[in-house]
Amino acid sequence: MNPTLDAYVLLSALLFAIGFFGVLIRRNTLVIYMSLELMLIASTLALVAFSHFNDTIDGDVFVFFILTVAAAEVAVGLAIIVALFRKRQTVMVSHLDALKH
Amino acid sequence: MAPDPNTMDAQSHAWPLAIAVLLAPLASAAVIALFLRRRGSLAASISVAASAFVAAAAIWLAMSGVRLGGGREWLRLGGFAISIGFKFDDLAALMLTVVGVVGLCIHVFSVGYRAVDAAKARYFGGLSIFMFSMIGIVLADNLFMMFVFWELVGFSSYLLINHWCERPSASAAAKKAFIVNRVGDFGFLLGIVMCYWVQGTVNLDELGRRAAAGSLVYSRAIPLLLFCGAVGKSAQLPLQVWLPDAMEGPTPVSALIHAATMVAAGIYMLCRINVLMVPPAQDVVMWVGALTAIYAALCAVTQSDIKKVLAYSTLSQLGYMVSAFGLGSLDGKAAGVGAAMFHLTTHAFFKGLLFLAAGSVIHGCHHEQEIFRMGGLRGRMPLTFATFTIGVAAIIGMPLLAGFYSKDAILYLAFENNSAVFAVLALTAVLTAFYMVRVWKIVFLGKPRGEAAGNAHEGGLSIQAPLVLLAALSIVGGYTSLYPRALSGVWALVPEASGSAYGIILATSVAAMLLGAGGALALYRSEGPESTGDPLLRRAPGLFGALVLLKGSFDMAYDYYVVKIQQRFAMVLNFLDIVGLSGVFIRGAAGVAEMAGMGARALHTGRLNTYVYWFLGGVIVLWALAAGIL
Repeated sequence: MNPTLDAYVLLSALLFAIGFFGVLIRRNTLVIYMSLELMLIASTLALVAFSHFNDTIDGDVFVFFILTVAAAEVAVGLAIIVALFRKRQTVMVSHLDALKH
Repeated sequence: MAPDPNTMDAQSHAWPLAIAVLLAPLASAAVIALFLRRRGSLAASISVAASAFVAAAAIWLAMSGVRLGGGREWLRLGGFAISIGFKFDDLAALMLTVVGVVGLCIHVFSVGYRAVDAAKARYFGGLSIFMFSMIGIVLADNLFMMFVFWELVGFSSYLLINHWCERPSASAAAKKAFIVNRVGDFGFLLGIVMCYWVQGTVNLDELGRRAAAGSLVYSRAIPLLLFCGAVGKSAQLPLQVWLPDAMEGPTPVSALIHAATMVAAGIYMLCRINVLMVPPAQDVVMWVGALTAIYAALCAVTQSDIKKVLAYSTLSQLGYMVSAFGLGSLDGKAAGVGAAMFHLTTHAFFKGLLFLAAGSVIHGCHHEQEIFRMGGLRGRMPLTFATFTIGVAAIIGMPLLAGFYSKDAILYLAFENNSAVFAVLALTAVLTAFYMVRVWKIVFLGKPRGEAAGNAHEGGLSIQAPLVLLAALSIVGGYTSLYPRALSGVWALVPEASGSAYGIILATSVAAMLLGAGGALALYRSEGPESTGDPLLRRAPGLFGALVLLKGSFDMAYDYYVVKIQQRFAMVLNFLDIVGLSGVFIRGAAGVAEMAGMGARALHTGRLNTYVYWFLGGVIVLWALAAGIL
């Protein structure tokens, strides 16, 4: 039995929720970053599913662009996290509260 | 007066010269204050040079017959403009000459007198700023400008009384002078504002034109409020308390500011606003002056500090001038102005002389001011003795000296206009002769009563020269015909007795002088060197005590008012201020802002997670808006 569109959307929503709560709860910048990526991927999954069930390639085209941008973004983001670690010796957001002071 | 061809040439030089006369002392004060604070001798030279220039230029301006008027706008606030300008008429020319000449004498005297003082630069800077302010009053063409300089002379007077600022009594006296003057100045300011409100102008020329055209609005309040300023500055009852205390300042300052010029500014101002006067206001002025004259003369009798005697004598003579002004016109001319200005001029000469001679005595006796520790200075200080004698003779109205003529003019005016005031002024003349001869006899005759007096010595040339010049002026100052013809505009107003009135005035004035002087000579005769203290106290302790009480009564009344009434009122206001303003309004307003700030700060944690929650909240609100729920 082939999965229905509802199943894909549900999966996408679950992934998004996992990513979202990861961002909210986790304290490690790297994990937060991964959670962010998970949210992005959840949205691409929904786009691919819509594209498949509507017999158009609009969503697929979107996904190509999103993946490209995401790759670039990950490169930059990881570089920032590495630089951050070098400077502060930590990537825990609870220690990264310089904005307050 | 139509300008004659000779003055046309002078006219072209007059404006820059008049401006230079005003600004030279200011420049001197500025240079001293900015660059020469530690270089006393140079500061003294600059200050003396400025005052010499002022004196020379003042004499030239007065004698050349050139008269100026006009000004330009200084400040505009909506429809209200304050202008700054000069009104240099005969009155101003006379006053400027007096200020310039007496000022120069006192500057020169100060060089010798203050030779050992560390704060010399500050002193001469103060003198210069005073000259600037005083000349500003003399030349001002409107009441606002006059008020500005009026406050400036108060400020410079404060500086100079406070010269020995390490003495508590000097700083207390300076504060007292300043505060008491503020009381009078407040009335003056109200008068100016009211004059502007009612007349629409405070320009003296314009007021004079309106008076001539009959379009002036007369009111009692305006001249009386303006008179408040004169009461403060010229130390009339009931604001006379500051002047005796102001003797804490150096003696040349007392001579310049608290005898010859600044305190006379009140009289000068009254003469300036003569056109605004109405008879009921003039009566008030007349009685205030007469009462001050007799009150101060009574106070002077018990004083044993040579400067205090002269201070009360100054008060008394100022009362004479104010009273003369209040006596008003005679035969259709402003005789009050003429008599008051005449006495102002001669008084500036002989009172300046008396103060400088007293300064010379104090200098010679190593800063001894108590007259009962002096005595026998005639032989040790012959020049000071001679000049002081001339000063005493002039002030008590010895015939042929300056004071005789000016006092007679006032007595004659009183005789014609108000016999009660005439009696008061004649009695004052008796007392004047009494206390001046008393001081003269105790200080210069007899034997020395103290070590300082026994070792007294005459001062240097810069002390002696001004004494001689002022003594000469005290002799010839009463002959109005000797003044340059250009000043005749003022002298024409001086009332002159003729016929039977002349005889009565002459008899009264000479009798008053002889009575007072004879009484003093009799009472203070044959004092042994061992007898100290006041003979009047020994012979009539009740009278002496009553006079001391009279002198102290005003101070006691003011003390009572300040301590018991004003202080308590101030405490109530302070309580209201702390509870009402600080507590409710300021703390309250600050509290609201602080609560808002604390709330906002709680949002700003610096933690990424918190911001995500806010982000989430923002998204929800946005979604709710988009969905039309909110």
